[in-house]
Amino acid sequence: MSDVAGPSTPSRKRSRWDTEEDTTPQVDKPVPKRRTKSKVTTSAGTYTPERTATPPVRSQSVAGRLRPSHSRHVPPRTEHPPFMPSRSVYCYERLNSIEEGSYGVVFRARDKETGDIVALKKLKLDEEKHGFPITALREINSLMVCKHENVVGIREVVVGDTLTQVFIVMDFIEHDLKTLLSVMPSPFLQSEVKTLMLQLLSAVAHCHERWILHRDLKTSNLLMNNRGTIKVADFGLARRYGDPVGVGGLTQLVVTLWYRAPEILLGATTYSTAIDMWSVGCIFAELLLNEPLFQAKGEIEMISMIFKLLGPPTSQTWPDFLNLPLAKTITLPAPQPSQLRQKFPYVTSAGLDLLSRLLAYDPETRISAEEALKHPYFTESPLPKHPDLFGSFPSAAAGEKRRKPDSPSAPARAADYKLLTEFD
Amino acid sequence: MSTALYPLASLVQIEKTPSREDGIPEELELDLRAHGCKLIHEAGILLKQKQVAVATAQILFQRFWYVTSMKQFGIGDIGMGALYLASKLEECPIRMRDLINVYDELLRRDAHRLKYSTGPSSSSAHEFKYIPMSYFGSTFYDLKDALVVAEMQILKRLGFNVNVVLPYGTLVNYLRLLGLTEREDVPSKAWGYLNDALQTPVYALYAVPTIVSAAIMLATRQLGIALPSSPESCWWELFDADWEDVWSVAGYIMRLYRERTPEDHARVLSMVTKKGVRSWLEDQKPAVLLP
Repeated sequence: MSDVAGPSTPSRKRSRWDTEEDTTPQVDKPVPKRRTKSKVTTSAGTYTPERTATPPVRSQSVAGRLRPSHSRHVPPRTEHPPFMPSRSVYCYERLNSIEEGSYGVVFRARDKETGDIVALKKLKLDEEKHGFPITALREINSLMVCKHENVVGIREVVVGDTLTQVFIVMDFIEHDLKTLLSVMPSPFLQSEVKTLMLQLLSAVAHCHERWILHRDLKTSNLLMNNRGTIKVADFGLARRYGDPVGVGGLTQLVVTLWYRAPEILLGATTYSTAIDMWSVGCIFAELLLNEPLFQAKGEIEMISMIFKLLGPPTSQTWPDFLNLPLAKTITLPAPQPSQLRQKFPYVTSAGLDLLSRLLAYDPETRISAEEALKHPYFTESPLPKHPDLFGSFPSAAAGEKRRKPDSPSAPARAADYKLLTEFD
Repeated sequence: MSTALYPLASLVQIEKTPSREDGIPEELELDLRAHGCKLIHEAGILLKQKQVAVATAQILFQRFWYVTSMKQFGIGDIGMGALYLASKLEECPIRMRDLINVYDELLRRDAHRLKYSTGPSSSSAHEFKYIPMSYFGSTFYDLKDALVVAEMQILKRLGFNVNVVLPYGTLVNYLRLLGLTEREDVPSKAWGYLNDALQTPVYALYAVPTIVSAAIMLATRQLGIALPSSPESCWWELFDADWEDVWSVAGYIMRLYRERTPEDHARVLSMVTKKGVRSWLEDQKPAVLLP
């Protein structure tokens, strides 16, 4: 056991890939064979039992018969991927760095073989005392399990020269919604908000169906391409949840403060999918307002802002409120009705209804993503706009400069208006 | 709908496992795989770890040997790494030190058995006594390095695709469908076969419905329960399983119960580390050259 050494030992050596500005790092190892699609057959394992019972009762007579078609729950054996070792990061050519997050750097890169532009997220593994970090495992696993049109696509995980160099390869998406909201000349139209919300909700429904909580939904984690499609990204806090939640409960150190559900703020350790739905509600409000709904500086301020907007919780709106660990430590302000209508004077009553169901106090009654997708808001006029009709923007992440606004700002959406026949 | 499917070995990976390419016979490879899984299982019990984590570890362990030779990594190290990794995947992480202590005891016990299994003396004279390693001793740090490397190698060589689907839920569904839940012995027997199958490569070779069908087949045959098995109405077709595959899985499982000679046992015990595997391979060389 003690003789583990040689080429597999992790060392402090830094990969040249992410330090050199040089555009063409040398491939010093034979690049693993390009994922050859090997043929797989069903009668694979050929071990024949020696002392088992009689040979199969079914003889050759059935051989000619057609196989019954497969259930959709049991795809053919050939659809399962083979075991594929990670490729080298040198399969990609580094272009520019996009951002440096709290636990990793994101690069834009080009796949040398296909020419595809991708985003490479480098995981920070230097100071790990517990082997491969569980957070990174959750992120990779969640992305692999939650593949969906509106979830950022994971392509593979590649490795550098040493065992401390690991990169997640994802589809490159031009914008994030946060930056977009701040540079857009005018807020999204109602029809556009509906399209974005439908996309977000279907992604969240997809994750929840696969027992994944995202736990950090916010506008800066929603990426958007130039074809009007948003992709949920950054599963760095995501994790699988179960029913019941495992021993020890879940951490309260999740979700960016402004998007954090009241039950987490009050110390719940058994929260569930409803916390993501609260964040979706905050995002919905942000799309309508063109600025974040709750811009609190601390948790106490956050709670009081929620109480101020929605009115303090009552035994009707939140029966379990008093059982939460921190509920007794705060004093409830005097009863007061919800101020939602005043805050959102222009949204239709269906829109306001959806928002209030997303921002419901009681996690038990808060609307689920599945239900929200069927909400009347999405079927009333104006109808959701087709993604193809969304405008496009220069991408900050791709290093594109935004052209200086032309003199007496021509309506940036002029083209859209021509295309749009519906009223909004 | 595009749900990620769990990976299974390709035909090429099955036909030529890296260990066999390095000269380890198929039978021996299967025995070593089974022993590695038993170690994971025992470590799981000693650590009071959840069965889902243990099962996940065993499946990752089995997958690993389709991309790596036992000459390169020992089954002890990889088993330890697989259990550590699977515990994180199943959201029930364990402490490195606990795992290392447990594996150290298991491996020393194996070494002890190997030492006294061949001799004529009775075993009672040489009772195994475990002496814990010193807290800051080099044994700990060596094992810790081995553990970290093993975990990372499993991830890297499986392309970080560690999606594992366990068979238990499917078993319950199928038994209900077949009306076999009335008797208590059928579910528990079939469940047992599924667990035993974790010591074989089948979870890396076949889809879950096929393996569950094999477990049901073995359980019902053992208990003398007849199920519709004549063409046009074969029960396993309900579950999209092919008879040949079901039969092959059953073969892998039944092979576990075959009697082994003391020499076979000793051979497996001596090959828990890659060092052991290498020296065994060295010993084989002259024999190959003779004829």
